[in-house]
This record gives sequence, structure tokens and C-alpha cells, in this order.
Amino acid sequence: MSRVPALLITHADLAEALVRAAERVYGPVEDVERLSNEGLSRAALEKEIVDRVEKWPNGGLVLIDFWGGSCFTCGVSAARGREVVVVTGINLPALLDYLHNRDSYPVVELAERIRVKGQESFRLQRAPAA
Amino acid sequence: MSWALHRIDDRLIHGQVVVAWGQRMNPRRIWVVDDASAANAWEAELLASSAPGVEVRVMGVAEAAQGHAAEAALEGGAFLLVRDLATALALVEAGARVSEFNVGGLHYAPGKDKVHEYVYLDGSDRAAARALLARGISLTVQDVPASRALALEALDPSVATARTGPRE
Repeated sequence: MSRVPALLITHADLAEALVRAAERVYGPVEDVERLSNEGLSRAALEKEIVDRVEKWPNGGLVLIDFWGGSCFTCGVSAARGREVVVVTGINLPALLDYLHNRDSYPVVELAERIRVKGQESFRLQRAPAA
Repeated sequence: MSWALHRIDDRLIHGQVVVAWGQRMNPRRIWVVDDASAANAWEAELLASSAPGVEVRVMGVAEAAQGHAAEAALEGGAFLLVRDLATALALVEAGARVSEFNVGGLHYAPGKDKVHEYVYLDGSDRAAARALLARGISLTVQDVPASRALALEALDPSVATARTGPRE
């Protein structure tokens, strides 16, 4: 099975920071493209995304910080008509799960797996009473 | 008065609108006034999905101008978004009564020069800004509620020259 490529798109420099954080846990990260929406109009951001995803012959994942922002609308527009799945709410556990599994799953199944891992990553733990 | 915010922003619905202004003002409806988006069902659906829990209406300038006064009389807050100064002017010229536009983001494109961190203008933008100001409409540069509000003409004196009417 071939590797599912990913493009990580976020506000500010979260994408770069997430990858740096992932490298502390996972080791060197290759083949994850990063993009910030900083200073980009909707048209310019969409073009930046299309320029990247159109290079994926077998589709891939667009990983986005949150649903509803410009990263989201532009990501969905760029994914249109392609085998590209947009995953929103990306966090460190979800990114790590992508890195560990990107060579083992097809695009849609990998996207679903990451969604589940991301959702499961939110947990509450209160310290026991002293 | 349901109108809580009239905003000029080339990203239309996005995080600053939904999260920053939305959490503060809790609009019930968001009007996206954009002829291109209104003519594209897929685009209209995408915009509508970007603001969960809020009714999003995507429409052209003519329809928005026509319904603008009726919306003002409704309960619950409403936002109106346009992508550029020319559309804001067209909306007003078509009859919508607006006293202030928030200038939230006009990003760099070839031929535009920097007026502010997130505001870039070219000649036709400036002409539209002058026409809006001449009608007594305020143009307030402010990306999110927590940042300082600045008058566009203070940032770019070249748009201020034609101003005749007092600020409302």
C-alpha cells in the first residue's frame, strides 16, 4: 500500500509547531506539507492548497485546525472532485496517529481512523483527593 | 434593529467572523452578499456549513438590498458579509441603509498596496472607499472585537480627501 500524503493547514504557525511537537515524540517527520493562512485571501489560500493536492495521484488528506475557518472552506473547495478528505480539529494525537498509519490504510479509512483517534484524545482526569 | 455587523472581508465566513464576532454577538443569521457565491449552489452550501448553528443566507447584491430593511426589523442579531469595497458600495447604491462597515480583511493581491497589516488597496478599492465615505458611511478597520478599531481614512489619507458628510 502506498503512503497517503497529507497537507496540514492552520491559522498562524500552528502547523509548523504541531510538526515540531510530533517530531519530539515520533522522530523526524517527512512528507507532511505545512501551510498557514496568514495574510492570504481566500482565493490565494485556495490556490496554495490546489497547487499541492493536485500533485497527489491517488488523493490524500487535508488536515485542518478547525471547522468553519478559511483553512476549512478553502480546503473543502480544493478537495472538490478529488480523492481528498478534509479532517478538521487536528491535534497532536491525531497527527501522530496519521504518521503511524499512513502507510497502512487507504485514504478514506485513514481519515476515519484519525477522526476517531482525535475524538478519543479528549479525556478528563481529576486528581484524586489528597 | 437586527443588524449587528456589516463586514468587508475577502474570506467571507471564516474563523474571525464565526468565533470572535460570533461568540460576542451571537448572530441568528449571517447574510453572505456575493453574486458569485449566490450563483454557485455548491459554494453556497459550503458557506452555510461553515457556521454551525447559525442560519446562513447566501444571496446577490440586488436581493440583499431589497431585503435589508425588513431584516433590520427582525428579532435576533444578524451579520452581513461582502468580499470587497466595491460590493459594499453596490449594496448601498442599491438601497441598503448602512451607517458603518467593518473592514475585517482585504488581503494582498498583485497591484494592491499595504495600508494596514490585513488591509491592502488598489485604485478601484480607494474609489469605492471614497464613495462610501462621501455618503457618510464609516469604514472601521478591526479584524476582531478585541483589537483596536481604526478609521480607514486615518490609515490611508488618500481615501479621506473626498469625504464630505459627517460621521453618523
